[in-house]
Amino acid sequence: MNLEFKKSIAWMRENLFSSIPSSILTVATSFFVLGFFRGLFGFAMASDKDWLSVLNNMQLYMVQAYPEEDFIRVWISVGLALVFAGMSIGLWKSTEESSLSEVFSKFLRVSLAFLFFTVVAPTFSSVTDNDGIIQTEESFPMETRLQLLIPSAILVVVFFVLKNLKLNYKFNKSDLLCFYLAIPIVLMWIIKLPTIQLDSSNQRIFPDPLMPIADTTKTPWTIIFGLFLAFYFIGSRFKDSKNIKRTMSISWVLLPLFIFSWIFKKPEIDLPTILGQDIPIFIGIFLIGALTITFINNPVVEKYFSIYLGVLIAITGIALFISIPILLKSALLLLVLFTIVIPAVSSSTKGKRNLIIVWGVSLFTLSVLIRGGSSDTQIIVQQQSIFGGFSLTWLLAIFGTYVSFPLGVLLALGRNSKLPIVRLVCTGIIELTRSVPYITWLFFASVTMAVFLPEGVNFELVVRVLMVTAFFSGAYFAENIRGGLQSIPKGQYEAADAIGMSPFQKTSLIVMPQALRAIIPTLVSSAITAFKDSSLVTIIGLIDFLTIGKVIIGTQSIPVNFVGHDRENLLFIAFFYWIFTFTLSRRSMKVEKRLGLGER
Amino acid sequence: MSKKAIVSLLILSMIAVACATEEAVEEVAVEEEHDHSDESTLDEVIERGFLKCGISTGATGFSEQADDGSFGGFDVDFCYAVAAAVFGDYSKVEFKQLTSAERFTSLAAGEVDVLFRNTTWTQSRDTELGNDFGPTTYFDGQQLLGRKADGITESSTLADIDGLRVCTNAGTTTEKNITEGAGLAGATIELVTVEAFAEAVDKFIAGECDIITTDGSALVGRRAVNDALNDWVIFPTSPISKEPLGPTYRSNDSEWADVVNWTVYATIIADEYGVTSANVDSVDTDALPELGRLFGANDGELQTKMGLSADAFYNVIKQVGNYDQIYSRNLNPLGLFREGGANDRWTNGGLIYAPPAR
Repeated sequence: MNLEFKKSIAWMRENLFSSIPSSILTVATSFFVLGFFRGLFGFAMASDKDWLSVLNNMQLYMVQAYPEEDFIRVWISVGLALVFAGMSIGLWKSTEESSLSEVFSKFLRVSLAFLFFTVVAPTFSSVTDNDGIIQTEESFPMETRLQLLIPSAILVVVFFVLKNLKLNYKFNKSDLLCFYLAIPIVLMWIIKLPTIQLDSSNQRIFPDPLMPIADTTKTPWTIIFGLFLAFYFIGSRFKDSKNIKRTMSISWVLLPLFIFSWIFKKPEIDLPTILGQDIPIFIGIFLIGALTITFINNPVVEKYFSIYLGVLIAITGIALFISIPILLKSALLLLVLFTIVIPAVSSSTKGKRNLIIVWGVSLFTLSVLIRGGSSDTQIIVQQQSIFGGFSLTWLLAIFGTYVSFPLGVLLALGRNSKLPIVRLVCTGIIELTRSVPYITWLFFASVTMAVFLPEGVNFELVVRVLMVTAFFSGAYFAENIRGGLQSIPKGQYEAADAIGMSPFQKTSLIVMPQALRAIIPTLVSSAITAFKDSSLVTIIGLIDFLTIGKVIIGTQSIPVNFVGHDRENLLFIAFFYWIFTFTLSRRSMKVEKRLGLGER
Repeated sequence: MSKKAIVSLLILSMIAVACATEEAVEEVAVEEEHDHSDESTLDEVIERGFLKCGISTGATGFSEQADDGSFGGFDVDFCYAVAAAVFGDYSKVEFKQLTSAERFTSLAAGEVDVLFRNTTWTQSRDTELGNDFGPTTYFDGQQLLGRKADGITESSTLADIDGLRVCTNAGTTTEKNITEGAGLAGATIELVTVEAFAEAVDKFIAGECDIITTDGSALVGRRAVNDALNDWVIFPTSPISKEPLGPTYRSNDSEWADVVNWTVYATIIADEYGVTSANVDSVDTDALPELGRLFGANDGELQTKMGLSADAFYNVIKQVGNYDQIYSRNLNPLGLFREGGANDRWTNGGLIYAPPAR
């Protein structure tokens, strides 16, 4: 008996069977957990379940009625996100390494779990027949079990031996991640799945024939994975460059905006307007902003700065009410905002250069959004909302968090402000939004908001829902962040004042970083809540991920016949939500660890 | 400039930006102002370029969404028919999947032009809610479904469900009908209400209730799918309620009402003459003057006066089909047949009847 085995016996005695009550608890809990698993397995394996109702409807689940000829846009969005992810993993490459035996021990655990479940899985499962009588049927016969048992036992042995060889090759953890991701891609080309096939009289063939995965699925994924790898290597080459890292961070912030405005709408490329109107406006405004930033500290300029600002505000004010291109209006507004902020931020040469870059990027983003967003040629969908299924859930979750987080920061800072009017307004918004249930806000968006808006103004339902979602989760974020702000000792503020920091610097360099760091767990749980709460939109007639499985798939009759197969779909939906929330919470734990949360 | 001034200016400008971005979105999202009082829905629809049709989120055989996102079903086909009549292109339609709770609000708010959503024509809905109902496309009626094992036969009546557990949708006319009917028949029932019909069937299969009740079409469809023709019984033979299902549109808009009504009538007339999408091109319009008028003879005077193109109803038959085609395509696979029922031709003793095209 080797030492490791003795160790684990000792561990079990200490932790699971230390006293009589703890032994009873251990046995009872394992009994319940096993029973639950056996029930679940029996449910999934029963012959009256049609799991193709899930597999066959993946497209419906993901994008609902999005037109097939425009799928390239969806693939580009997914690809862009994964390329960015690859680049970031490369740039922030982990310095940790795992040895080969650690990798094998991971594989060993997976195959042990597989072996364990193969052993304990029930042979019989219960099926309710049409008379409502529960019958048992053999769903997992001995031959099948043996066919699975032997290879998994072999795998366990192989990995156990490999692990104990104590091979000392070291692999970088980020490299390993790429390797793990390659496994499903390779599997996609090998495995065959049951597919719905129709015979000549348009009837479904039973049993469903095994077919390789469709090229329209595996080719894009393979290309995307290839790009992911390529950008991972590019990223790891430049992992010491601070500038690229900064650019990457900004790009992450801009990505959802680009996807939203560019990929989900067919842009109307009107070259004469772009060349004759948009580009001159962009260059003009950009130059004015850049010049302002460059000469801000010049003593002569500073003397006339307030006059310049006044004139600028006056021009912008007038511009809002006359009919000029919308791009010019919004660019002017952005310029005013920037000109006001400039004196508050650092004015060193390097700071100025960075500021000009930030200015250019913001202006460019604004231009793209305004032009891309205002194009009339939308994607034609056969239903009212272009978003449906997971794309809607994702939109609500990402965009909700994306808009509400900055809003929350502003509201929290505003609530702590010394200016009474700001404080009052922010407190009012927070308290009003939080004191009304989310469902009520959804009904407000669906039914009442149209009455509140001025004559002739009409937003799409999705936009209205996004607006209330942003405010609702914004208010919760604000309260969380306020909690973080209160956790910062007064000495920090005083120290920042003592070294002569401006209020802007104090907030952005001293207060916010510490406040946000303290509340990462709450922020993540807020984000998870927003993700899950998005399924509530079903009550106002938006078809989200859950509704597809619960309502739509259960009515598909000819020729696939999925009527009555809603329980399989509910199980799948639960599993899908769990994957996302679990990944999110695990990632946030890693971030906490890296920031050393709870160690100080 | 003092710090305070900067901060207040900053906030002011933020508000301005907020207003302006809102304005930007407004200009993007702004729709043509509609004045419902003096513009017909028909003009609105033509101007918009597509029809907005309200359908059910999911009703087997009536409105289904396939795995590629496309729509199909009995109700959906009538949406296609109206689009074919107005635009000559059946695909110019945008569907809105509505729950039963929001269908009338959606219609009243102008979010849909017409409802083809299993909506029963009742007096209160017609008179109080600002709706008008078109010709009934499907004559349905509430029935019950039970098991042979419980002693239920096709000749059973409401009196025979005494002491049984009945599952039905909460807050619908279905629920009212069964409580009323059982009370009149002197049967004491235990009512189990669920949110959706699918849930009721799940409970029935699981043995949590002995009877389920809803519209007969749904029961027949579900029985066919579950392949239990020998075990499950639908009764009584004549339904316990009348559920005429048809199109619904806003009141006081007879121009639009005519378009919807005559699209339905055109499919019925074509069925009476046996004209299908396959043989519509070879119809001898001189021998059959009514069809000639319907398909655009005399420069399609009848249609152009309605504000449609002369060949509007030809397009309906050509692209979507006649009533019988729509019916058999969607409902025959579910075990719902026209023969001998209320949805048969009037010449065969059914109720499907259209006024003459003259």
